[in-house]
Amino acid sequence: MQHRRFRDTVIGYALLAPSLFGVMLFLLLPMLVVGWLSLQHWDLLGPIRFAGLDNWRSVLTDADFGRSLLATAGFVALVVPLQTALGLVAAALLARGLPGTGFFRTLYVLPWICSPLAIAVLWRWILAPTDGAVSTVLGHRIEWLTDPSLALPVVSAVTVWTNVGYVTLFFLAGLLGIPADVQNAARLDGAGDWQRFRHITLPMLRPTLFFVLVTGIVSAAQVFDTVYALTGGGPQGRTDLIAHRIYTEAFGTAAVGRAATMTLILFALLLGVTIIQHLYFRKRVSYDLT
Amino acid sequence: MTSRNAAVYTLLTVGAAITLLPFGLGLLTSFTSAQQFNTGSPLSVPHPPTPANYLGLADAGFGRAIAVTALMTAVILVSQLTFSVTAAYAFARLDFPGRDRLFWVYLATLMVPATVTVVPLYLMMAQAGLRNTFWALVLPFMFGSPYAIFLLREYFRSIPADLIRAARMDGASTVDVLVHVVLPAGRSILVTLALITVVSQWNSFMWPLVITSGSSWRVLTVATAGLQSQFDAQWTLVMAATTVAMVPLIVVFSLLGRHIVRSIVVSGIK
Repeated sequence: MQHRRFRDTVIGYALLAPSLFGVMLFLLLPMLVVGWLSLQHWDLLGPIRFAGLDNWRSVLTDADFGRSLLATAGFVALVVPLQTALGLVAAALLARGLPGTGFFRTLYVLPWICSPLAIAVLWRWILAPTDGAVSTVLGHRIEWLTDPSLALPVVSAVTVWTNVGYVTLFFLAGLLGIPADVQNAARLDGAGDWQRFRHITLPMLRPTLFFVLVTGIVSAAQVFDTVYALTGGGPQGRTDLIAHRIYTEAFGTAAVGRAATMTLILFALLLGVTIIQHLYFRKRVSYDLT
Repeated sequence: MTSRNAAVYTLLTVGAAITLLPFGLGLLTSFTSAQQFNTGSPLSVPHPPTPANYLGLADAGFGRAIAVTALMTAVILVSQLTFSVTAAYAFARLDFPGRDRLFWVYLATLMVPATVTVVPLYLMMAQAGLRNTFWALVLPFMFGSPYAIFLLREYFRSIPADLIRAARMDGASTVDVLVHVVLPAGRSILVTLALITVVSQWNSFMWPLVITSGSSWRVLTVATAGLQSQFDAQWTLVMAATTVAMVPLIVVFSLLGRHIVRSIVVSGIK
């Protein structure tokens, strides 16, 4: 037995070694490095110099960064509720189980499978003011991506278009998980469609709903490719979402220490959202119907 | 009841049209000659359809970009899956000191968002002298993914202990057990994880964008973005590029759609 345990230990660590190396070097070490880097000045090429709290002071008082946080908040506030609502509607239609449902379900996920960068470039043409598809159909030009009041809603719309099918899958799985007995019992008790949706479907979908909202927020807060290819953060920084701001700060203006500081702030915000998720799931209401 | 079904189908079809229309328009434009696009209506059907835009991509170095992207995806796929399987097996089936504490560390790393590691990883790669190399593209993702390890561990724990014990009795080593018992039993979850890896690596953009420069290790997404900013008005050429970037995954998707749909649900629910 002693021999068996020794052998398991040796084999166990041998099997773990590569992934342990990866986790340490490429996930945990970067977290330490980014913290250290937020206290340094670095311009990508020259030497790294100690900066004290300079980066923190300048980032926390930076109007561009504040504007970027606001734009990100606005983007999340547009994208997440919209994609959740549309996903729920699509899932409700698919959950009726009519012939051909599988085809529609698969088709709706298509945009989510494709490269977000390529999707953004495709939409850039569709929305191009002079020779784009939409302008051609409408017969007059609209500056979808350069009008300061239109750009953020349009970038949000493209993101929603990409994500709806993905959200639909989770709601569909959630809806199909609700026991038919419960719905039938309510129907026998005389509950109408809306009443059953409001008092049975929605409460039983709550874990799914919460999951979709939290992951939606975490991923929307990190959108980069779409902004990079559609607007480049413009016009007037209206679509300069935080991931794009970090990229521009680090690789555009070569203020890597400031970019590291912004990265830590983003991490803290996302960690907050994730922790709320875990707290919720720990004490979530269970619907044990046995 | 039938009128209600008709309404459902109508809404589903509207959704399908909104989903497919942009792809269809992009595909049409990619086969339109630049001359027809500029002189006629940008939305007219190509007559005749021309491969000129795709040939233009070859001149813009897309052949190499496709090869680099495919190689990067393949290297990450094979190594990440291999090391995830070995780690998950150790966590699920072996008993050694420190196992549970280490697993907890792996789980904690699931909370690290991808965007957060870009800037520090860049510094690390720069210090290691690996900027603009193939290794910089693949190294951070080669050694297994905590998420895959987490899913595989759950799966491996569900394999009956008797099955493994029986193999052991017959004199099988740990590697034999892994290859001949555990892997065949976990085939569907492995297909799922493979698809997730292929989709995310083929589409990856931010990391390749920052860590490579010039044409030698340029991947398809970076090449597409570069082409778009260089030839902003040449939409027929640019649409050929987006088509090339998307078609391989659309083909995989239409062959394995069912697996992908399931894999999304599996990979999303934590």
